[in-house]
Amino acid sequence: MNQAADVSLIVPAVPDSIAVIRQTVSGICEALGADTRAVGDIKLAATEACTNVVLHAYANGDAGTIEVDAYAAEDELRLLVRDHGAGMTPAPMAEGLGLGLPLIAALTSTLTILEPENGGTEVSMTFSLRESTPDP
Amino acid sequence: MTGAGRIEATAADGGWPVIALSGEHDLSTAPELRARLHDLAEADAVIIDLDQTTFVDSSILGVLVGGLRRARERDVPFVVVLGDQAHPAIRRIFELTGLHDVFPIYPTRGQAQAGLSRQGETA
Repeated sequence: MNQAADVSLIVPAVPDSIAVIRQTVSGICEALGADTRAVGDIKLAATEACTNVVLHAYANGDAGTIEVDAYAAEDELRLLVRDHGAGMTPAPMAEGLGLGLPLIAALTSTLTILEPENGGTEVSMTFSLRESTPDP
Repeated sequence: MTGAGRIEATAADGGWPVIALSGEHDLSTAPELRARLHDLAEADAVIIDLDQTTFVDSSILGVLVGGLRRARERDVPFVVVLGDQAHPAIRRIFELTGLHDVFPIYPTRGQAQAGLSRQGETA
């Protein structure tokens, strides 16, 4: 997408950054008049996407960043969560349930995961602001 | 930190031990929750109270499932308080993940205490 993001955020890829992103996303949702359930779903999906970055993207210990771009439309919100890490690599996690991506898939209208040629991962998520769960 | 939650562990005045989460919880508070559960590794039961919790993610669910698994290995109860007044986001993630069918769930802390006491009497 060549359109400029309505909101962009770059934060260190550390656990404490996840709440900052979640609160920012929550504020965007409320400004757009999203319903309560959509706000909750978008906060959860954004959290899971950013958690994946913190846990898996920079597994070699390099300091890295999480980049979040938000694109608002009348009835939907698109979030792009980007890192510049090692790409989608399975990593052992002490007590992980492997629920992150399945949750994101369940919460989004559309989900696209790209691994750009220049490295990293881009997770693009689109949400309805008024009815977050697509009809079965 | 914005949105950070609190974790309070109480020995509960003669009752069963309770870990109560308030506010929002994610990867940043998961280690503290894991530590609180570790402190109760020898307890005869554990109650997780989510009535004042406004957000949890899969990191927190992972810690709770780990606690449930270890409790089952010791054959002790590990229950969750999640009532009608709980935040919709908490009920939502439990339903989405199917964990509302995995954890024994009580509507109030008092009912959890009473339920565990009845189990103790019949055990």
